[in-house]
Amino acid sequence: MTAGLSRAQLGVTDAMLHAYADVVFKLSNNLQTRRGDPIRRLELDAVDAQREALGMSDAQIAGRIGLTPAQVTWIRNFAENRRMRVNNFQRLLELGGGRRHREERFVPHEDRFAYSEAALALRESLHFDDELTARYVQAGWWSNQTLSAWLEQHATATPDKAALLSAEETVSYAQLQARVEHLASALYRIGIAPGEVVTVQLPNVPAYVVVYLAIARLGAVMSTLYMPHRAAELETLLAHSRSRAFVCLDATGDFKPPETALALQANDALPDLQQIIVAGRAPAGTHALNELLSGNAGPLPPLPVAADPLLLLYTSGTTAAPKGVPHNSHTVLSNAAAGVEAHALSGEDVILSAPPFGHLYGLYSLHLALCTGATTLLLPAFTPPALAALIAGSRPSVLFAAPAQLIACLHSGAFDAHAIDSLRMIVLSGNAVPARLIEQLGARLPRATLTQLWGMTETQAGTYTRPGDPPELAARSAGRPSPGTEVRVVDENGAARASGEEGELQLRGALLFPGYLRNEAADQSAFTDDGWFRTGDIASLDQRDNVIISGRLKDLINRGGVKYNPRDVETLLDAHPAIQQSAIVPFADPVLGERACCFAVLNPGHEITLDDLCAYLLECGIGKIKLPERLQIVAEMPLTPTRKVIKGRLRVVDD
Amino acid sequence: MSRNRAIDPADAKQQILAYCKRKGALAAGVADVAVLDRVAPPGHRPSDLMPKVKSVISLGVGGQTRGAWTVPAKAMGYFGSTESRAYTIAYGCAFFIEGRFGVPSIYCPPDVDNAFGTRVPLQSLKLHAEVAGIGARSLAGDILLHPEFGYMYFASVFTELKLPPDAPLAENPCPAPSCVKMYRKVGRTPCMKFCPVQCLSGTIDEQGNQVEMHYDMAACADLSEQYEALPMMLSRAAHADDADDVLLDPDNKLFWYKMSVGSGGLLAQCFECMRVCPIATQAPQADPILRLEAAERQAGDEQP
Repeated sequence: MTAGLSRAQLGVTDAMLHAYADVVFKLSNNLQTRRGDPIRRLELDAVDAQREALGMSDAQIAGRIGLTPAQVTWIRNFAENRRMRVNNFQRLLELGGGRRHREERFVPHEDRFAYSEAALALRESLHFDDELTARYVQAGWWSNQTLSAWLEQHATATPDKAALLSAEETVSYAQLQARVEHLASALYRIGIAPGEVVTVQLPNVPAYVVVYLAIARLGAVMSTLYMPHRAAELETLLAHSRSRAFVCLDATGDFKPPETALALQANDALPDLQQIIVAGRAPAGTHALNELLSGNAGPLPPLPVAADPLLLLYTSGTTAAPKGVPHNSHTVLSNAAAGVEAHALSGEDVILSAPPFGHLYGLYSLHLALCTGATTLLLPAFTPPALAALIAGSRPSVLFAAPAQLIACLHSGAFDAHAIDSLRMIVLSGNAVPARLIEQLGARLPRATLTQLWGMTETQAGTYTRPGDPPELAARSAGRPSPGTEVRVVDENGAARASGEEGELQLRGALLFPGYLRNEAADQSAFTDDGWFRTGDIASLDQRDNVIISGRLKDLINRGGVKYNPRDVETLLDAHPAIQQSAIVPFADPVLGERACCFAVLNPGHEITLDDLCAYLLECGIGKIKLPERLQIVAEMPLTPTRKVIKGRLRVVDD
Repeated sequence: MSRNRAIDPADAKQQILAYCKRKGALAAGVADVAVLDRVAPPGHRPSDLMPKVKSVISLGVGGQTRGAWTVPAKAMGYFGSTESRAYTIAYGCAFFIEGRFGVPSIYCPPDVDNAFGTRVPLQSLKLHAEVAGIGARSLAGDILLHPEFGYMYFASVFTELKLPPDAPLAENPCPAPSCVKMYRKVGRTPCMKFCPVQCLSGTIDEQGNQVEMHYDMAACADLSEQYEALPMMLSRAAHADDADDVLLDPDNKLFWYKMSVGSGGLLAQCFECMRVCPIATQAPQADPILRLEAAERQAGDEQP
């Protein structure tokens, strides 16, 4: 509308706009040029001579060109709109104004960073409940704690203190921060932007920590692969996480992660994967991690904040429905910060994690160390002699381990050959803690605190016993909820069970992930209507609200603390020509807690051995950790009416 | 008009200008209507607004306080200006003329011309002031500057009373010597260099006089007319088939302007060119503190 008249009433056509917009704009007072000072000098002829340059009214332009004044108004407005730049006022607000203003410091909005579609989708998955968010913030559980802020704090306060200890080197906090800044800027330079996922498959070496902290500094998101993961898991998890980069060793035994990733990239199986970074010999088409670390530090994006996603972990590697668990700094770092006090840790501690950092339990120990400024002692790969020798040689004060690992150490005599008396605390988690183990460790380390901790990828440290609790409590209980965490035990109808009665353990709190990535079905089964997380574990509470875990509802195999869903293995086995139907169930093992047994119904006229079966699965890209360790041929499976195997009826026969 | 014939124009002018200064104007003068009618475009001449106008009185009040120039840009955007004070004086002046001399007078509306959007005024108060001799055009987009009072806000009064006109300023204080010095070094004056959207440019001759002034008013307006417009128009746009039709409609652009005023947002100018202008900030009586100091000096001089 112009003066109440529509464009049609004015007769302004596109052709007119095309022809006259530019000249109308130039003649209007939008662009003004004055030569000399003619009005002040009353040089009125000079004024007349430069009217067009001084800027004309719409009526004057109309007379000058041969349009109606209203047409000129409409066309002028069109030309102004076409030229209008939005958000210009941000120049003032950002640059401060006055002599602070420097035009070159302003980045136009259209040139500024924007999260990728994949990064936004991951951010979108952090859909926390609004009431609970307000509660956690107001209670102080959630604040702006980030790994970058912790690192900066320690690098400033205790720059020379050892942050990392490994067989090869000692890295101080100042050195660690410098390496992190270098690598972060190098990653940024090769296109790893805030919000992008970087999958890491490395052993517990200094580079792992540097890579993790560099990813965190960028505001990118780390996803992990376990070291035993092979091509099948690599493809499934990198595809589901939409990883932009993959950081790996050059080789793990016969498995060559860079070549595998390159091949998947070439086959368009991983369309989001852009960079492969190799610790070791880097094949063509990949980056050498060492080269990225040695380059000059360049620009970095703004520091991340606690609400940004930090981790994307996976609870299983199934091809059917990977369960991606997103965490931000609020969930995992608030849990770690509270854990420092609850575990009575200090900056003087040297903390050793026997589990890999690919597992959240391993990362928890690292988070605790980074929070309190302690030293992290690194064990690249667990074996009983390696763990025992490292404890004896480097004398850590705190050990995080799975019960299966320590049982193996005790059974193998590794702890007899090496002194472990530097340990003032052992935190045990991953599978059930046998009372016998607590007794044996207590006898060997009478002054040490033995802690049982229960957690999941979805929660980090959910419950644990505390220093000062009697040792027998750690033998029978996973302790009390971590600060900021609530637990309840309910029956199948959701009603609270009385003390001592078993039911499903449910949890909520500041530590809890918000829901699975792109897996609504998993969300629906994992959360109750009132927002509690179904852990799938069977538990009871004692009189003091200590949690006693007594079993699992789920079918996961828990081999030495590494839990996995055998469904993808079963799917492959069912495709084997000799096998009609398969089912994998756990059987008890005194060292690992559980191992997998494969039940199989064979097709008529076929035979198969356990070795045949394992060779077939390895060919299919299944990691060794998932290989069945026993095979039982059965005539038929116990089945439900819908033909699902009733695994609970499968009984493993002792060898 | 018989009453008019009995009035001494020179005496009336003195009384009127004295009234303006008594009410707070730093400077006031009478513009020659014939010059205004010659320079202003048709539709925007004084006689277009008041057919029997004989004189245009222009008055200026002080601009920002000295403290205002020190605040961050965001706060500066909320300072607004002192133009309402000038309007109040002009409004009172029209009443004063009618009450004292019995001659029809009006306070000149300072608003934009509704029919032509946000960038076209009904009357150019700047032209009135320049011709009345209380300001000269600067390199900063023709903002008027005064050698004694620096940067002022102006208001006008139209009257059918014939008053002897003043002459424009004999000298233009812009560019100041320090600005000329900077121009010689870097090719730009402070106002050109520090404009957030680089809407100013120009040239200065060997004698330190303005040769050309270029002002991109569209860019200047881009900066200031988008900040915190109220959401009513946005709400309408949200329900329209084509939001751009509503948001950038000529009639609605006036609404942007109005709503920016209502929200205290940046309006018309961001002041950055004036913040770095030595005349606007350092002229002998450019701010209340300088005027206080001048008054104290004068009082000291007058003591025996």
